[in-house]
Order: sequence, then structure tokens, then C-alpha cells
Amino acid sequence: FSSGRRRHREPAAEGCPPGDGGSMRCQQVSVLYFARSAELAGLRSETLSVPRQITSLQLWEEIVKVHPRLAVIRDQVVFAVQQEYVLLGDQLLVLQPGDEVAIIPPISGG
Amino acid sequence: LCLGTTRNNFEGKKVIHLEYEAYTSMAETEIKKICRDVRQKWPSVKHIAVHHRLGLVPITEASVIISVSSPYRAESLEAVMYCINTLKASVPIWKKEIYEDKYSWKENKECFWENSEK
Repeated sequence: FSSGRRRHREPAAEGCPPGDGGSMRCQQVSVLYFARSAELAGLRSETLSVPRQITSLQLWEEIVKVHPRLAVIRDQVVFAVQQEYVLLGDQLLVLQPGDEVAIIPPISGG
Repeated sequence: LCLGTTRNNFEGKKVIHLEYEAYTSMAETEIKKICRDVRQKWPSVKHIAVHHRLGLVPITEASVIISVSSPYRAESLEAVMYCINTLKASVPIWKKEIYEDKYSWKENKECFWENSEK
């Protein structure tokens, strides 16, 4: 797992006001949906504006605000942030513009 | 050599075919990590090939193939087992089983976060 890319003292920002995509406190990230999460969200990818520093659980909650149907899979999913798996929880993320965040339902390859 | 082929039934339901999707760029990265691990753990291994089909896979056809060569058969067999088990635990690929009247997203019991969160 990634243990969080950088540790900062300031608390995670509360939310992104509309039109705040370019500010210091919010970032545009690319969100990718797969398998069941793509069916529930109704799309495969989009750009969302989220706080630059945010816990993985808070990030999930931001995404569920946009796609409430995703709530049913909360206990089954993890994220992949810049292709590193991240559990939903207290792990602090520091997001860069254009970072890729993928919703990863339980996998079934092989 | 490990060749995964599709069964034609699940819990009494007839499987029509499988559909696979992947987070392709990350799946490739994770498979490369598995190959690096294999070379560290079994230095005698010569060649490794991992191939996974995406999209529609009809029943009886192979969806995954893993091939490892080594001068020592025990090591190549262990390395193949490691590859398939780790692929099932960590590579972002999803399988949908299509039945006559519905479908189901499958979940590997090896999936590493399914076991840790409960």
C-alpha cells in the first residue's frame, strides 16, 4: 500500500466550492469507474474538483455526493490513486492536478 | 503452464459466456511487479509470459495463460502458482458471468481487501 505521499499538519479541507477548480485548496482529479461502480455511477470516467488534501474516506464521500448510488458498495471497494491501492479510511492523500483516482470493486481476474 | 478455462455452470446456473474488463495500465504494472517478484524469489527462472483476455470469452475457452520456464520443474511450478494466486489477489481485472436471464460480477476470494476489512 501507499502510506500517503506527504504528511502535512494542516487539516484536510472541507469541500470545494463550485468553480474552485484552479485554487490552492482544490484540485481537478480524473476519476475512473470500473465494473459494478461504473454501472452504479452510470459512467466510466469524469473530472471532479476535490480538496487537495483529503483522507481516502472523505474522498469517497465527495464522490458519493455526486453519485449517491455508489453508497451500496462502500464496504467492498478500495481506491487506486496514481495506480497505488488505498483503503477507504484515515489515510491522508495529497492530490496533484490531473491525478488519477480509480474506484476498484472486488477483483476477479484469472 | 497454467491455463484458466471457463466453466459452463455456476451454482446450477448455466453460464453463457464471460466478459472481462480491466484497468489496463494498472493491470500491466501489477503484472510486471509479479514478474519481478518471481525473478527475485526463483532466480533460476528463464522466461515468464502472462496473458489475460479482455472482453467476451466464450465458455470452454481460456481466459488466462501463465507460462514459466526454468531448468528446475519444482521452481517453475511454484512460480506459476505464485503468479496465478497473486494475479487473483492484486491485478485490477473484473469478470462478469453472463447467465441466461441475468449476470453477476464475480469476486475472487484472494482479493486482498475483501479479507482484511471484515
